[in-house]
Amino acid sequence: MRKPQEQEALQAALQKLKAQGASYADARWERHRSERLLVRNGQVAALTQHQEEGFGIRVLYKGAWGFAASPFLTEQEIERVAKRAFEIARASSLTVKEPVTLDDWEPQRGTYESPCERDPFAVPLDGKLELLFRADEVLRKAPEVQTAESSLHCHTAQKVFLSSDGAEITQRITESGGGLEVKAVANGEVQQRSYPAAHGGDTAARGFEFIESLQLVENAERIREEALQLLRAEPCPTGEFDVILDTNQLALQIHESCGHPVELDRALGMELSFAGGSFLTPDQRGKLRYGSEHVTITADATIPGALGSFGYDDEGVPAQRWPIVERGLFVGYLSSRDTAPRIGQRSTGACRAESWNRVPIVRMVNLSLEPDPDGPSLDELIADTKRGLLLCTNKAWSIDDRRLNFQFGCEIAWEIQNGRLGRVLKNPVYTGITPQFWGSCDAVCHPREWRMWGLTNCGKGEPMQTMHVGHGAAPARFRGVKVGGGR
Amino acid sequence: MTLGKNIAIPEDVQREGGLLGPDALLERLREVVQRSPAERTEAVYIGGRSDLTRYAASAVTQNVSEVNAQLWVRVANGRRLGVASVHASDREAWADAVQRAHELSRKQPENPHFDDFAPRAAYERVETFFETTARTTPLERAEALRRAFQAAERTGRELSGTFQTSVGEVAVVNSNGVEAYQPLTGAYLKVVALPKGASADAVAGLAMADGFARDFTQLDVEKIAHRAMETSARCEDVKEIPVGAYDVILKPPCVAEVLQWLSFIAFGSRAFLEGSSFLAGKLGQKLLGENVTLYDSFREPEIGSLPFDFEGTPKRKLLLIERGIARGVAFDRLDAHEAGTESTGHAGPPGSGFGALPWFLCMEPGDASLDEMIEGCERGLLIERFHYLNGFLDPPQAVMTGMTRYGTFYIEDGKIKHAVPNLRWLDSMVRAFSQIQRVGREREACVEGASGTFYQLVPALYIQGWQFTGQTG
Repeated sequence: MRKPQEQEALQAALQKLKAQGASYADARWERHRSERLLVRNGQVAALTQHQEEGFGIRVLYKGAWGFAASPFLTEQEIERVAKRAFEIARASSLTVKEPVTLDDWEPQRGTYESPCERDPFAVPLDGKLELLFRADEVLRKAPEVQTAESSLHCHTAQKVFLSSDGAEITQRITESGGGLEVKAVANGEVQQRSYPAAHGGDTAARGFEFIESLQLVENAERIREEALQLLRAEPCPTGEFDVILDTNQLALQIHESCGHPVELDRALGMELSFAGGSFLTPDQRGKLRYGSEHVTITADATIPGALGSFGYDDEGVPAQRWPIVERGLFVGYLSSRDTAPRIGQRSTGACRAESWNRVPIVRMVNLSLEPDPDGPSLDELIADTKRGLLLCTNKAWSIDDRRLNFQFGCEIAWEIQNGRLGRVLKNPVYTGITPQFWGSCDAVCHPREWRMWGLTNCGKGEPMQTMHVGHGAAPARFRGVKVGGGR
Repeated sequence: MTLGKNIAIPEDVQREGGLLGPDALLERLREVVQRSPAERTEAVYIGGRSDLTRYAASAVTQNVSEVNAQLWVRVANGRRLGVASVHASDREAWADAVQRAHELSRKQPENPHFDDFAPRAAYERVETFFETTARTTPLERAEALRRAFQAAERTGRELSGTFQTSVGEVAVVNSNGVEAYQPLTGAYLKVVALPKGASADAVAGLAMADGFARDFTQLDVEKIAHRAMETSARCEDVKEIPVGAYDVILKPPCVAEVLQWLSFIAFGSRAFLEGSSFLAGKLGQKLLGENVTLYDSFREPEIGSLPFDFEGTPKRKLLLIERGIARGVAFDRLDAHEAGTESTGHAGPPGSGFGALPWFLCMEPGDASLDEMIEGCERGLLIERFHYLNGFLDPPQAVMTGMTRYGTFYIEDGKIKHAVPNLRWLDSMVRAFSQIQRVGREREACVEGASGTFYQLVPALYIQGWQFTGQTG
């Protein structure tokens, strides 16, 4: 905040709300700054900077929530927003059946800053553009390339969280990322390859050093050539195959088939009218076999530099690490201060808001498939596969409202015959039912093969909130997966 | 002529709605443009208030209100462009955004596809602002919902969903004299009905209905809730069927969702220029069935929206597919220059990089009623809604996958027999839209959310041989 008086005004508004009868209130001020650069076919297609700041006030009155937000941080506006939040909570209380109760987390006071060696906003634009133009030039060195895109993005969020019971937290999180995408066209066929991932590349809660570590220029030629190979490739055959998923596709697989169904608000039916419910209902916790004994999935908001990491969530609960699936058994949820008590727990610190103008809801943090310390390398796993497919880089995704029936498309597949990688195959698609699919997992690679991915486009809630989350994985093998060509 | 110049928005509505109002907003944007150090400047503004009540199991779970204001500034120095944006409405923040855009432009190479910002134009009048909506209170929404919850209780059901209202204003001003202003209001109600006490894992009896109106008083909460409850009662008896190809009768929300994706992968300028659209290089060719005519229109008898795009280009009816023949795609000024054509008035907010997209996709109606379609179906499925479509699989063939949701019914010998589980499908929309047997005579305006900025106006369709690949019982 620009002035100490602004924080004092927010504090005063919270105390006034308590005096009016609110059982709890909190205020969150946030300032965001972002920059995006996109070079397409030798031209700057986007070079934008965005700034915003504002505050939101959340009030609990007679067991019901109200929330109001505004970008204008003035004393008068704070008063108006607090009044509106209170009116909204009072209106909500008309329909209360089970009054909201909060867990017993003590009010926290603290600060957090994500690791950042090189401030991405301090790196001169000329240098950033030069990097993108160099990659773009390599991508376009083939007549079949119709579209080459190189992009960088960075974002920083400053947050102040205050609560009526005395919490006071400041945080600063810096994010950097980038990627390449090439689309090649010939004879009515369009094929794409991306690096390191589609949909904007990869992102971490780090500084510009993360973008440098991606080695965009060094990987441009490889993906260009793979796009050209895909133009000439046979379609992926239909049938049941042993499938090895690369870490990028696994990130999406974890996200859609594990991350969303373990959001406790979904499991309690609170998202039923939008994203859907969950097959992982509370009665299944500790009983349902989610996957094979090779499958251990952990939520962890404390991994330095991962995109789903922070010091405190947007309810002021400290970042934690906890099990979701332990050797195949479903054991844990992502939760918030108002959902956790409904299953007799306290919040796991996974209640997050997109920005100042959104109410925090249960979101993913970093949800990762743990590597097997005794597991093989990727080469060893391929060598151990008689007839199968290696599927790489997510291209398309779809899953039903209970998170059971999924279908994913990847950019590229390699045939595996007698332990060796063979020809490239185009348009691979696989489908399955979540617990059966994870139940067919018979190998997860060694920790040396494990890597973290950052996803910037996780959508949930109404109004829609886009969240940044992380997923770590080592390549893994699944037996007898239903595969079909995507045409 | 902009509507804004003729409309008086009461001061208290402006204040509570977070609106600056036509005169003050255009004056402020003129100031931005005039004081800009750049050779040419364009300012785009969206502001207002949105209110949203979410509910689950017949109780409000989330209730929020947000005032917001966003300014985008795009400047041109020669052919060098710079874009900056800010969420604020104070002069200092706006001046800073102009300065940032100016500095960014100077560090860019020239963009050969930029010639100029849009020329001054006149806009058609569309009535999109209703004071009744702007004055709605959280208490009114809660009370209307409480009545619906009580009605649901009497039928052994619970309701989940959202109830939203919004009041906003959009304006574009540039150094060529463009001055466009449009205020918009909207109210949107979504009701999901399910048997009382059903868990989050429920499939049977889950049904949805929704409705949108620019005038809050025209939104019939009771009727929408009743529709959801009625469908819920019809889909409690769920029986599995073998997967494979079935004739389908797609209700308008399904058609709308497919068209949303086609808008992105086929009818947008980027997909066309990249060659991934199934229309790329095929304008003038017959690509779909004779009974398919698709166009983009900001004003139809059933609904209307912004009469200009975010560059200030006036919107006009854009023909995309005429009796199966590819006729056009949406363009903004930059992509139009690249394609050697004119803007069609479909620019998005500055700097998005996604190119132009049709926002108001409409399909010409046919002559069949829904009952006639069902009666004419020997063996098939009636589908209420789709869920989680994805069209990135093979865009040149518009291959999509998705699930059915909120009611899928098996039809045999012209009669609905029973509900079926949610089904996964995988099919080419180029194929499917070449196999349409009947087109519904009624169209439904499908809108998600209260802003009403995007919509699809579509009939139900009877399509032969839709490919289903799995089901979730």
